[in-house]
Amino acid sequence: MPTQEEKEQDEILVRDMKAGHMEAFDKIFELYQRRIYALSFNMTRNQMDAQDVTQEVLLTIYRKIDTFQGKSAFSSWVYRITLNATYMKLRTKKKEQYVSLDEGLPNFNHAGFQNEKISDWSKSTDSLLFSNETKGVIEKAVELLPEKEKVVFILRDIEGLSTEKVGDILDLTIPAVKSRLHRARLFLRKRLSNYFDEYKTRSSKK
Amino acid sequence: MICCKECIDLLCDYFEGTLNPDTAASLEDHFKDCPPCVSFLETYRQTSDLCRKTLTPVEIPEPVQIKLREFVKNYIQSP
Ligand SMILES: [Zn+2]
Repeated sequence: MPTQEEKEQDEILVRDMKAGHMEAFDKIFELYQRRIYALSFNMTRNQMDAQDVTQEVLLTIYRKIDTFQGKSAFSSWVYRITLNATYMKLRTKKKEQYVSLDEGLPNFNHAGFQNEKISDWSKSTDSLLFSNETKGVIEKAVELLPEKEKVVFILRDIEGLSTEKVGDILDLTIPAVKSRLHRARLFLRKRLSNYFDEYKTRSSKK
Repeated sequence: MICCKECIDLLCDYFEGTLNPDTAASLEDHFKDCPPCVSFLETYRQTSDLCRKTLTPVEIPEPVQIKLREFVKNYIQSP
């Protein structure tokens, strides 16, 4: 989340970019390059795609800075350009089979109470939580999220932006951001739970 | 008493701290008597934490940094 100071710095740099100062572009590229690449990489999981997107976004900032009106924060504008370029990339690829997000909820009885045992893997050892196998499961699960939920989850939980900021970038209301975020988390939690349960069974058989 | 389903529906707001105090209190009351919900809540929270720690920070690999510098030089600094 940009601080007030960063916002003011952005405003000065935007003014300088509009005036055609090359150093201002360099400074903006230096400040935003990693964020652009990271967002695009987390969306595509592909280094070449993320590189292409980053190049395209830098060029768009350079060419289109005059069209930036400052109605929202400069950073929101950059995130939006990044997402548009990323979506274009994803469109050219074969569509993955998306899953239904209904499977994220536990079983309830008719009164709305849970009637299955929920295993708590949240305090497993770091060697399990941060194993390469777990990392693979997480990457795969995030990849399976439908685009709408995926982008919200990545911006909010991975990039760590505030709910308000995500709403600003995606032009969504706060409740809409929260509901997509919640669905994404439920789905991922379920996937991780299945994996950790299966892992436990596997290791007890050894 | 608030049921498990309602609790789970409100988890996102609960962690954002945007529930009104009464609702938050009834959630916490429920959690006192409901181990499955506590497990759910802990794993829900850990899901976000674990995903963030696993997928960040993404750094730009050195070869890509070189490519990007070349790109800026060729297409932006001297177009
Ligand atoms: Zn419960």
